Amino acid sequence: MTSALSLRGLYKSFGPTSILRDISLDIAAGTRHTIIGPNGAGKSTLFHLITGRLRLDRGEVWLAGENITGLSPHAIFRRGLARSFQVTSLFPRLSVFENLRIAGMRNAGCGHAFWRRLDGFAELAEQVEEMLTLLELGPRRDVAADALAYAEQRALEIGLALVGGAHTILLDEPTAGMSRAETERTVTLLRRLSAGRTLVMIEHDLSVVFDLADTITVLADGGVIASGPPASVRGDARVRAAYLGAAAEVLT
Amino acid sequence: MSQPATTLAATKSRHARQGGLKIALVFGLAIVVALIAPHLFASGFGLSLLNRMAIAIVFALSFNMLLGQGGMLDFGHAVFFGLGGFATMHLLKWVDGGLPLPVALLPLAGALGGAFVAVPAGWISTRREGTAFAMITLGIAELAVALVVMIPQWFGGEEGVSGDRSGGMPLFGFDFGAASQIYYVLAFWALIAAALMWGVTRTPLGRLANAVRDNPLRVDFLGYDPARIRFLTFILSGFFAGIAGGMQALNDEILTVSNIGSQASGAVLLMTYIGGVGTFSGPIIGAVLITLLQMALGTLTDAWQLYSGLIFVAMVLWAPGGISGIIRSHAPILRGGLGGRLLAAYLALLPAALVTLAGIIGLAELAYRLQAVRGGGKPGHLFGLAVSPTTPWQWLIPLALFLFGAALLSRLAPGARAAWQEAAAFAAGRRGR
Amino acid sequence: MQEALFVLLNGLVYGLLLFMLSSGLTLIVGMMGVLNFAHASFYMLGAYFAYTISVGLGFWPALIAAPLLVGVLGVAVERYGLRAVHRHGKLAELLFTVGLAFIIGEIVPLIWGRSAVPYRVPALLDFPAFTLGGIQYQAYRLFMMAVSVAIFAGLYAALARTRLGLVIRAALTHPDMVAMLGHDVPRVFTLVFGAGCALAGLAGVIGGNAFTTTPGMAEALGAIVFAVVIMGGLGSIPGALIASLAIGLIQTVSITLDMPLGAMLGHIGLPLDPHGALGQITIAHAAPAVPYLMLVLVLALHPRGLMGARAD
Repeated sequence: MTSALSLRGLYKSFGPTSILRDISLDIAAGTRHTIIGPNGAGKSTLFHLITGRLRLDRGEVWLAGENITGLSPHAIFRRGLARSFQVTSLFPRLSVFENLRIAGMRNAGCGHAFWRRLDGFAELAEQVEEMLTLLELGPRRDVAADALAYAEQRALEIGLALVGGAHTILLDEPTAGMSRAETERTVTLLRRLSAGRTLVMIEHDLSVVFDLADTITVLADGGVIASGPPASVRGDARVRAAYLGAAAEVLT
Repeated sequence: MSQPATTLAATKSRHARQGGLKIALVFGLAIVVALIAPHLFASGFGLSLLNRMAIAIVFALSFNMLLGQGGMLDFGHAVFFGLGGFATMHLLKWVDGGLPLPVALLPLAGALGGAFVAVPAGWISTRREGTAFAMITLGIAELAVALVVMIPQWFGGEEGVSGDRSGGMPLFGFDFGAASQIYYVLAFWALIAAALMWGVTRTPLGRLANAVRDNPLRVDFLGYDPARIRFLTFILSGFFAGIAGGMQALNDEILTVSNIGSQASGAVLLMTYIGGVGTFSGPIIGAVLITLLQMALGTLTDAWQLYSGLIFVAMVLWAPGGISGIIRSHAPILRGGLGGRLLAAYLALLPAALVTLAGIIGLAELAYRLQAVRGGGKPGHLFGLAVSPTTPWQWLIPLALFLFGAALLSRLAPGARAAWQEAAAFAAGRRGR
Repeated sequence: MQEALFVLLNGLVYGLLLFMLSSGLTLIVGMMGVLNFAHASFYMLGAYFAYTISVGLGFWPALIAAPLLVGVLGVAVERYGLRAVHRHGKLAELLFTVGLAFIIGEIVPLIWGRSAVPYRVPALLDFPAFTLGGIQYQAYRLFMMAVSVAIFAGLYAALARTRLGLVIRAALTHPDMVAMLGHDVPRVFTLVFGAGCALAGLAGVIGGNAFTTTPGMAEALGAIVFAVVIMGGLGSIPGALIASLAIGLIQTVSITLDMPLGAMLGHIGLPLDPHGALGQITIAHAAPAVPYLMLVLVLALHPRGLMGARAD
């Protein structure tokens, strides 16, 4: 069986500073995978490398059996990989509805058409309405994205990655800055929407991590120090030493 | 929230129908206005004003397709306008020579010419965004002007290229020679072009252009190449600018280098921005208003250019949304019935504003008349008074007016702003509940 | 042969003048992300101020005072204009400078008239520095060259050695980071903007009398300076130097070549009807188009310019 996402010996440095060294990782299709690690471990950089935002120094990225190394972000998206950003990145002057609709356009077959009404893509509009409901943003449908509250913007940020129906989804700290209740709602949403898809997320909230993840990778100091099912990662001595520390005591 | 999907869909489609009805009404109204206008302004001046407005509307809308819809500032937009015009003009000359084509259709040649030139220009420029894009368009514009000057065989050098619009095949018995006849051709194309450009804003590409304007990086991660979207939008915009150029060719029956140069590009930027880049109607408002001001004030004062520059800078500083932006930010206040209170705050500003304005006009007019006097001309009158720009104390009056007015304005403005903010917040709160 | 040398020297002087203008603009664009459309207007103001001052006090006081005046004006524009529109975004900033250029272009002829003013090279330097093959080379041109090189050296040293220079260089490549390091960025911006304008003013002082001082000089040079800055790559000083010299040399040389395109392309085996519309154009004819043609060529091959640093 081919992995949904396979990283083979990735290296990245900025000038003389090495950020990531020899990252290899296989993520099985249909699983939920979480990447954790202390700040500065290179997690967001890893996402940028996978999605074409940054260029690799060395190594290969394979998506569903296809080598996507060096492709542009839009080309990678077209092969079925969508992502969200740690720093909210929306279309500020457009409504919530339009934000989501833009995210769904490519996979709804809109192309670059300038001779067809966008409203004529009924299925796309339905998808978007459905997503609005799931994100509990229905009442905010026609509000401009920059007028939303922070938590609403975070929800929309996740929605942009989910709405297009990509088979592999990368979420960069989806619950950052959310309250307890909002986090729980998001976890429920992700559990529901990740069915049949591959979900890779960077997450700091360990309760979310152990609640949601099928497998966990721990990144520290630019390298993978542990990878596997939650139970094995939780028991890993190096992980405890490098990262989990006191938090792990609480969880066990 | 838990509204059943069926009623939700029904609500949406009712919204869509109402939206469609509203648009049909607006365009119906536009057609009626277009048909009545020439009877209200039947003088030679009136008709030539209307014809210029029709051209300016199409040109400004095509410009805003880039600036307002796509976030691209094109410093050389007149290139597509002018070269579209030249294409039309050459075809018109063939028509004059016996090519059996109705003159009324010729703006289409302009459209094709504009789009044709926009392909190489856009290929170079749209790979960049923002400031770099704007600077590249400036380079392309200079290159186009230099090329046009260099090839007099095609572009007629200093004299330009001229044709005769009445020399073609008559359509329904009209030869379009008279200004009153060509008006209907121009109005027809203005309505068609405006309707099409409005249509484009409702298409996938139109919406993607907005997305690229707001956040090109994110668009890249949603499966679209932002540069490709900019490129296609650029070509479409060149197409419509070309229509305007074709209209210009038919209206003026002559085209010169000045039609593609920086002044023409500057003019379209001016009217679009003053009208407002944030709405579809903004450029139309700007085109109508600036054309009117230009033709009215242009004959009254030499200082028109300076005034338009000052208006432009004032807009950039204090009303970046243009006139349509001002209207839009006041509409909910008026609807909320809070206009009265706000009007009082604004009226308090009025005397100070008038004094400042009188000072600026006085200074500018004195300066222009000083120049005229130096050149051996007469200083003439201002506000019914004989002026003598060589007399120093005459400068003191407008200077004092300006300084006094400006000082007063800067003291009063915060109050008016606060009143506006309060009213806007109140109106928004009332609507939100 | 001597003629060719003179053409090259003139091209070099012109290129260095372009660099004096474009280096200031490059700093402004690179740091603030603002294309100052009015940059060449400050160049024009420098020339006119210098003319007025030199009428009363002579050239040498003008050489010092005019750039300072222009610099002060630049500081005022940044402080009371640009900073106010900053919150409306990049586009508003750019458009503000467009309006400013337009207004300066209207006011200058009001004050100094529509035709050229008699701003002349100082008598002290108005003598032939050397004669080659019967052609004299004016000393003032050598002076221009010396001033340009001195400015370049001074700028380079200031950027490389001083603390402020370090901040500026950091801001060129990482504009967002500098504020986080606790530097008073608005003040640095004002300084850089003022200094950039003063440099443009200085270029006006020494260029206005070597060429001509007319109300059209800003527009004529403005677009070329933008071409230089883009071609060099936004924010790259070395790129601006290379592009300035290249445009200066190529444009000066091409003015002297009056061979028709048709004949020339025929030499290298490209067929172009020597009697057609394109074939009859001479290189000298095409000289005004050269900078933009180069710009388009460079961008077609290298979308970021020769040494582009900033992405936007």
